[in-house]
Amino acid sequence: MATFLVILHGLLAVALLGSITHQAIAVVWPAQSKAGFVNAYRSVSSRAYVNANIILFLTVAALGSVIYPIYRVWVRTYLENARLYPAVGSFEIKEQLIALGLGLLPLYWLVWRRPEPASTSARTAVTLMLCFIVWFSFLVGHILNNIRGFFGL
Amino acid sequence: MNNNKIEKVIPVFSAAFALIYIVSVELNWALLTYHPKIHQWGWLVEPARDGPPMYWYGWLVTSVLGASAVSVVAWPFLKNRPTQYWLGWSVPLLVTFSVFYLFREWFLR
Repeated sequence: MATFLVILHGLLAVALLGSITHQAIAVVWPAQSKAGFVNAYRSVSSRAYVNANIILFLTVAALGSVIYPIYRVWVRTYLENARLYPAVGSFEIKEQLIALGLGLLPLYWLVWRRPEPASTSARTAVTLMLCFIVWFSFLVGHILNNIRGFFGL
Repeated sequence: MNNNKIEKVIPVFSAAFALIYIVSVELNWALLTYHPKIHQWGWLVEPARDGPPMYWYGWLVTSVLGASAVSVVAWPFLKNRPTQYWLGWSVPLLVTFSVFYLFREWFLR
């Protein structure tokens, strides 16, 4: 069951990573033309991604919180015994960033719900912060999930 | 209280959530403790029973309740002002930087 949940957590995280990256690129580097792959990537409607990103973030965080106890009891103990302290620290940071991301979601919903000039900078900032949180968390989770292979343990 | 006015406290909620969360982590203000090895929950901060205790869920609960309380208190001061969008992202951004600083010890061992 835990393995299934880890895989599901990872797959949904990939979907969230793609979705929020797409939105973030369209926010900071918009394009009017859809000619070519890069322009087409940049010219999407950013607003269309909001609800999907919120639902995916909540779902991935909820799944992560379900499998977190397994990490805390078995994996972290193993990492500490192997003296892989940066790996433990990376997960500690990931844990805090996910919590901060959860606190940002209401603001993210608000600034995209009714885009207005007064919220432009907030829209860009919140989207980029969530994008950073998702990328950092994804990379840390991916590396820790494969840490024995990465470090030849 | 219409929806437009309720929305004015959302940036305050996000800012308060981030601040209360990082203080909760640093001072361990967890409203709940989970003991994963024996699948037991406890109120407030409890020492280990068997295996390591987990406070993360408790920090989240503290932050949600605390930020909600701050939002309710802030509401009368905000209802006739423009929405303070900047507050909702600048405080969490500073807290994000502080997270990297506070957990630097793991990378210096």
